[in-house]
Amino acid sequence: MRIITTVLRALFFVSLLSISFTGFSQTAEEGEKLFSANCTSCHDINEKVVGPPLKGAHTKHKEDWLIKWVKNSQKLIKAGDPVAVQLYKDNNESPMTAFESLSDNQIKSIIAYIKAESEKKVDIAGTTTGTTSTTGDVPPGENPYTSRINWLLVIIGVLLIGVIGQVFGILNKVSEIQGKPVINWTSINGKLLLAFVSIGMIASIWEFIVHGKLTVYAYEAAAEHGAEYDNMFFITVAITGVVFVITQVLLFWYGYKYKADGKRKAVYYPDNHKLELIWTVIPAIVLTVLVIRGLKTWNDIMNHRDEKATVVEVFGFQFGWNARYAGEDNKLGNHDFRQIGVVNALGVDPKDPKSQDDVVVTELHFAAGKPVSLKFRAKDVIHSAFLPHFRVQMNVVPGLPTQFNFTPTITTAEMRTKLNNPKFDYILLCNKICGGAHYRMKMKVVVDSPEDYAKWLSTQPKLVSASAPAADSTATAPAGPQASLVTPATKTLASK
Amino acid sequence: MSNLHHDDHNHDSHDHGHHKETFISKYVFSMDHKMIAKQFLITGIIMGTLGMAMSLLFRMQLAYPDMKLPFLENIIGQWGKDGKLDPNFYLALITIHGTIMVFYVLTAGLSGTFSNLLIPLQVGTRDMASPFMNMLSYWFFFLSSVVLVASLFVEGGPASAGWTIYPPLSALPKAIPGSASGMTLWLVAIVLFIASALLGGINYITTILNMRTKGMKMTRLPLTIWAFLLTAVLGLLSFPVLLGGSLLLIFDRSFGTSFYLSDIPADLAGGIERTGGSPVLWQHLFWFLGHPEVYIILLPALGITSEVIATNARKPIFGYRAMIGSILAIAVLSFIVWGHHMFITGMNPFLGSVFMLGTLIIAVPSAVKTFNYLATLWQGNLRLTPAMMFAIGLVSFFITGGLTGIWLGNAALDINLHDTYFVVAHFHLVMGSAAIFGMMSGIYHWYPKMFRRKMNETMGQIHFWLTIISAYCVFFPMHFLGLAGVPRRYYANSAYDQFDIFVDMNQFITIAALLGGAAQLIFLWNFFSSIRNGKRTEQNPWDSNTLEWTAPIEHIHGNWAGELPTVYRWPYDYSKPGAENDFIPQNVPDAGQVDEQAEPDPSKFEPATKSTHAAEKDSVLFSVVKRWLGFAN
Repeated sequence: MRIITTVLRALFFVSLLSISFTGFSQTAEEGEKLFSANCTSCHDINEKVVGPPLKGAHTKHKEDWLIKWVKNSQKLIKAGDPVAVQLYKDNNESPMTAFESLSDNQIKSIIAYIKAESEKKVDIAGTTTGTTSTTGDVPPGENPYTSRINWLLVIIGVLLIGVIGQVFGILNKVSEIQGKPVINWTSINGKLLLAFVSIGMIASIWEFIVHGKLTVYAYEAAAEHGAEYDNMFFITVAITGVVFVITQVLLFWYGYKYKADGKRKAVYYPDNHKLELIWTVIPAIVLTVLVIRGLKTWNDIMNHRDEKATVVEVFGFQFGWNARYAGEDNKLGNHDFRQIGVVNALGVDPKDPKSQDDVVVTELHFAAGKPVSLKFRAKDVIHSAFLPHFRVQMNVVPGLPTQFNFTPTITTAEMRTKLNNPKFDYILLCNKICGGAHYRMKMKVVVDSPEDYAKWLSTQPKLVSASAPAADSTATAPAGPQASLVTPATKTLASK
Repeated sequence: MSNLHHDDHNHDSHDHGHHKETFISKYVFSMDHKMIAKQFLITGIIMGTLGMAMSLLFRMQLAYPDMKLPFLENIIGQWGKDGKLDPNFYLALITIHGTIMVFYVLTAGLSGTFSNLLIPLQVGTRDMASPFMNMLSYWFFFLSSVVLVASLFVEGGPASAGWTIYPPLSALPKAIPGSASGMTLWLVAIVLFIASALLGGINYITTILNMRTKGMKMTRLPLTIWAFLLTAVLGLLSFPVLLGGSLLLIFDRSFGTSFYLSDIPADLAGGIERTGGSPVLWQHLFWFLGHPEVYIILLPALGITSEVIATNARKPIFGYRAMIGSILAIAVLSFIVWGHHMFITGMNPFLGSVFMLGTLIIAVPSAVKTFNYLATLWQGNLRLTPAMMFAIGLVSFFITGGLTGIWLGNAALDINLHDTYFVVAHFHLVMGSAAIFGMMSGIYHWYPKMFRRKMNETMGQIHFWLTIISAYCVFFPMHFLGLAGVPRRYYANSAYDQFDIFVDMNQFITIAALLGGAAQLIFLWNFFSSIRNGKRTEQNPWDSNTLEWTAPIEHIHGNWAGELPTVYRWPYDYSKPGAENDFIPQNVPDAGQVDEQAEPDPSKFEPATKSTHAAEKDSVLFSVVKRWLGFAN
């Protein structure tokens, strides 16, 4: 599948750029992978996210400067580089994460990707974004058109309201002259109530059929506890669904059936203890069933422990995720929030022997069928790690360790076949409001077969591999010889 | 008139015997509960319009994430540069939208309006126990509204950490621009708001318990009053907790404490390293108010519709005592379920089990209420006035939104539904739409009592139909967004292939929301133009039984010109067999019926009887207990 996408993408670039760019586009493609793994949580080509839009960045700064900036912008700023200081000020003095781990060539490919993307917009400018401006100006030629439509809509709306108002005015005058209301709302409302509930019920069923298919419950959950979860889910759907239909139909039907006709008198019926007892006891019984089942499901899921589970730490920060694998000893090295810095992004204690074999990545891999124990930690504010396909979610709270134990069952490849969607990927997304780029804070999740998983893990560099003593790596630490704490580069290369 | 305001002799605008009403004392610093009700309502409507406008703005963003909407820059300036909504400002919009709707519209606007209007009129007294506190209650609310609106204009923008303002996001100005001065103003506004809610609540409770007219036993109170009573009790017990929580957050933000902060490095937290606190503590404190708050919003709406449905069905409300019992049960249970908002915060799973149990039990009294509503409609003679239509709409939303509560209250299911659009759909139906419909129902029903004129019926009916259609079109599809795992509070879904397929649905929802917004313009027009141009009302336009319709149309200070009415029956004698009319107001005795009750005598409240007045002063609570136990006479 990857080959096909690669080919397609390559073809796309070829069609956009001239043939002579073919060689270049491969670097750009490499850059795209690096970009989406490292940069997208804070940057977009055309839009401001946390950081500024990167469109045209390659024309604004020299490549050497950009490399220095990406590797450690704080160092440049501290050194008093006027351009860097200005840029820092322009962006509310929020420091950019340092990427010491990226090689010069990798940064060059990212720049190549940015260049390709910036110019791509030029090629299809006629249809969408307009001019070649690299400064992000509003493209002329588009605004008047859109705004004309907007104004047209406003005018139409005002006219419509005016017309409706006039009609009512006339009707009111007529009813004043005739001395009785022209519109008999009771009879109209009766019919409308009936129509509303009929259409509403059909629409609800349509929703379940059409949009139900798009939900994560339309296919099997990708984790072991998912079966029990889904069972609970569908029992609840069925019970509440039945109650929903009965009560809504009765409500609107009564509204239609018993509307005043001027002849009838209402029945004086203030009480019936037997009836009330019935509809207290029946819901109570149904809810008891739901509570008991629910408690069982909840306790089964939450109290699940497996000594052999692979320990993985998921670390959330504004605005991205890292994962730390515990390595061969299956024990995570100690961490201290005071050690968190631009280089040691997770604040792992490098002197702790347990941390020597830890592996830090930006993509979460699981082995199908192997229990995993996710330990959550946050750097700054509360995040929530949400893996909808696995029926897994847990808040990620600074200062409060949380965890979730489960067993993934379906590999990404199998899921792609099942869904007939070659582009499908599991995701871990942030589900607790955490700031401006909350909506982009995600991590790709891959479920491999156990063999692939082992292979993947073995290619990931160890946290403190062959490194010099890497203590005190704080925000101000110079670019030391520490090994990559974040190693997407190797990963991307390995995946090729 | 001199029997009024026994507790504010010092206030010069209320000279005993002769009221010289100036513009200021009549319309601005009024101590008349009817005027205060109108002040609450109109402020609430203005805030509601603002909140709705905000929702339309962010709905535009969700539907058209890539489109440039040049008019945005005209409205919101730098936040909508080049016609693109700023992601931080998007979060500010949802935060302020939530705050306004929950607190300013559905707490103050709903409960403030109708408790003030109806409590004295329906229990048969001349004004609130303390009209002065009542006035303060409104002005604290007004001040709070002003502070909140002012926060829209400060640098960094208004609070943007979501209406639940979970720290550390709300505590660290570096985490999001809205957590700078915008959040400070938010907290100030909430503190003022809580003061207002408490001043109001104490008054409502005292008035209901102490100032009922002759014959008005607790079991003869209209369900509206029962609902307002329990609402006030809930508010009184839970709002102070939020006040405490907010103060601690103010300390964390401004004085370097760490109540809610742990493991926060110094560079993020204003140069002081923060350790030892717990972000989850805030969630406990917040939801200890937050969950009862849901019922503070919902109970008045349910009370209003109970009254409106009975009146317009021309039938007694089915199971009056069961209705009281179920709101009592809901009120009590609402205090032990707050943890269902926190199942997956890392709270001990055993606690989750306990909270889940309590939460699902609430479904029982809610089901009883629903079935009782249906039984009230059954074999009725329904007058489908706009108020009645909105009441039926409330029941419909209460069912739809209530049922999804059974999904979310289940801790296990909450794992995958928490904080998704499913939650948004759920609470907008059961708390948002239902409560708004209750409020609308009340406005259409009691408008004649407030403004001596009726609202235009045709516009009311159109308003109802457009609103219910749009509300269902907006919120029903959101369930499916949630089931697909789309998180709430996302500025755009375009970063996810799996969610991007819902772009059509999002556009549909936005168009429906715009329709709903347009429908509210009809309401606004109808509401404000009817104040001057509406048809004049009869004294009892809906042939209703409750006491407020025995008061004269013209508003007089003290509500009833002569003696206060005496109550001889419960408020739901509609279509009673053998009766001449299909309604018998509460103050009409059966043949030969005498006022047999030793109920609180309103004369006790007149300053003429100095001794009781003095006794009043020593302890309100004591006298309440005495009276309830029957020793006071």
